[in-house]
Amino acid sequence: MPFEQVNGKVVSVPVAPGREVLARRGAMLAYTGHVQFAPVRATAGGMGGMAGRMMAGEQVQMMVAQGQGTVHYGYRGMYLTIIEVGQMGPLTVEADRLVAHDAGLQATLVFLGSQGGIRGAVRGAVSGQGMFTTQLHGYGTAVVLSHGGTIALPVQPGQTTTVDPQAFVAHVGQVNADIALNASWRDAVGRGSGEAIQLKMTGNGTVYVQASEQKI
Amino acid sequence: MQPLDPTSLPDNDNIPGNHYAYCVRLTGQLFMQTGRMIAYYPAPNGPGIRFEPLTTASVSGFVAAQFSAPLYARDWVVATGQGHLILGDRGYDINSYDLGDGNLTLRAANLLAYDATLELKQSIVPGFLTLLGTGKFLASSSGPVIFAEPPIRVDPQALVGWADCPSPSHHYDAGWMSGFLGGAMGMMFGVQSGEERQYDFTGAGTVLLQSSEKTLADPHLVQQLEGQVGALDVPGLSHLQSVIAQRLSAQQQR
Amino acid sequence: MIPVMQAFRLSGSRVLEVDLHGDAVRAAHGAMIAYTGDVAFKSAGMGGGDGLRAALKRRATGESVSLMHCSGHGTVYFAKDAMEVLLVELAGDTLKVESEQLLALSDKLSTDVAFAGLRGMSSGQGLFTTTVTGYGTAALLSSGGPPIALGVSPQFPLVVDPDAFIASQGRLNQTFVTDVSWRNLIGESSGEAFSLRFDGHGVVYIQPEER
Repeated sequence: MPFEQVNGKVVSVPVAPGREVLARRGAMLAYTGHVQFAPVRATAGGMGGMAGRMMAGEQVQMMVAQGQGTVHYGYRGMYLTIIEVGQMGPLTVEADRLVAHDAGLQATLVFLGSQGGIRGAVRGAVSGQGMFTTQLHGYGTAVVLSHGGTIALPVQPGQTTTVDPQAFVAHVGQVNADIALNASWRDAVGRGSGEAIQLKMTGNGTVYVQASEQKI
Repeated sequence: MQPLDPTSLPDNDNIPGNHYAYCVRLTGQLFMQTGRMIAYYPAPNGPGIRFEPLTTASVSGFVAAQFSAPLYARDWVVATGQGHLILGDRGYDINSYDLGDGNLTLRAANLLAYDATLELKQSIVPGFLTLLGTGKFLASSSGPVIFAEPPIRVDPQALVGWADCPSPSHHYDAGWMSGFLGGAMGMMFGVQSGEERQYDFTGAGTVLLQSSEKTLADPHLVQQLEGQVGALDVPGLSHLQSVIAQRLSAQQQR
Repeated sequence: MIPVMQAFRLSGSRVLEVDLHGDAVRAAHGAMIAYTGDVAFKSAGMGGGDGLRAALKRRATGESVSLMHCSGHGTVYFAKDAMEVLLVELAGDTLKVESEQLLALSDKLSTDVAFAGLRGMSSGQGLFTTTVTGYGTAALLSSGGPPIALGVSPQFPLVVDPDAFIASQGRLNQTFVTDVSWRNLIGESSGEAFSLRFDGHGVVYIQPEER
């Protein structure tokens, strides 16, 4: 696990030839050694790469760090959680909550509208975090953002874990996240959204939930 | 949780287990930023604790000698008296530092309080203050402070301050610059994040970083920058205007 | 009959876990972040579920304790704005709390509104505080870092910034201290022009960040 937790809001990672790191633009706090940063073209998926991102109004530019040294990353004082990817399955994270990951992980951007039409779009609209999720495949480590830190809840076969979409950060493993409507939920969801929507998680893996309903 | 009181509160340390609150054992005078007191126990049979602005006549002679940062004068008060004074700063981390006949320059918005034995001066670097002498001071930061030693390059917004080593210089990432100039992408994003431009520290000393590139608000920085605008010519002013417009629209998109 | 204490647990310092076995818990509106099992949520109405008289008092005073009622079988996870959670046990005594800092109450506790004096004239906060009485656990919120519990005794009276005040418990006398002219200076605090002074016997809980 190359990423190291320096404190709740900062991680550090060594960078070397063959061990590059991709991170969200603006997340670099400091570095030692000889490290260069270059912008990376957004990976294709959904509505087609860069054009797709721009049309959705989301601009999460990624930068690759290469060379030889150590880089410290942090983002606006928010909490960072390091997650291992691959053992249990891929990582799915709201697109603008991904801070950094090993360059070895394969990232695809999924437009939620393409999953089951209106339900996917509604989920993105309710969580307030836009219409994209990022999926990371392969074996490696990723770092995600949260407001106040995350708790990891197991998702087990035979049991449903229900999550407030505004508190959802990521899930890892063979996990399905379905939208469900629940009339009594309307009273439960905060910020007067008036929506009666919840995320039902089933399968085998872990869901990461933040202690807040604030978006990034 | 077990309640604390003057018999169990620390004399000049963070509240146990709490990075966000600090307890000062007041036995005289302390310069502090206004509005940071969250609670205090006046010492039994003592004179109590008073908070006076720097402009009050009773402290002015003393103040003129120690406090040479007129731009910031209105943000500061002198706490006088005896007792335990608990400080909190908008939920930021608070740490205390000891300066031993040294000098430390830090961002004005991060300085919370300091011993009256230290001298305070306004730095020529906009937004920064320099502390000189021997004594204790308190600094706030967005997330815990990380100490590092040069050589190191730092995102300007993650910088809290530096001690003993020379002032930093700018470093522009050559690879980023050529990519930035060559590609159309450069036009869209502008020079906004720490990857393009960093502060470069060399020499012997300590650099203080915060865990975030979110800077604490400093209302006086605008005044200082405004003062420097007078030095620009017309092309310079137009360019500055477009940089500001770009920054405003980037902020609105967040 | 021995009152059964509900299982209120902390998961880390910002998340409250409550097990429900066919019973109920009241929590701040919108504070539920996840749950397992079968749980129903409904608004407890404007009165926080304590009867018409309390509801009318709240209407008159503007104090709003917007609580929801959660019942069923399963485990519910509560959190609010990433604030730290503090658990306070009540054994027949009274807790006075800023309603904004209330996260959850166990089933057997009752709430009311009490006059807190002239605090809050310039802050826009109500002139009233929520009082919680009975047997059970109250989960409170602290903004800006972990909460701090400060003991008050005749030997050690305490002065507190009203915007940092979370709650108080015990036999306390609350008065106002007005020698804080520095508050009129430019700075973060646009709040009260006075502080709260506590004398007597008890505990006051404060938070590192001013509201």
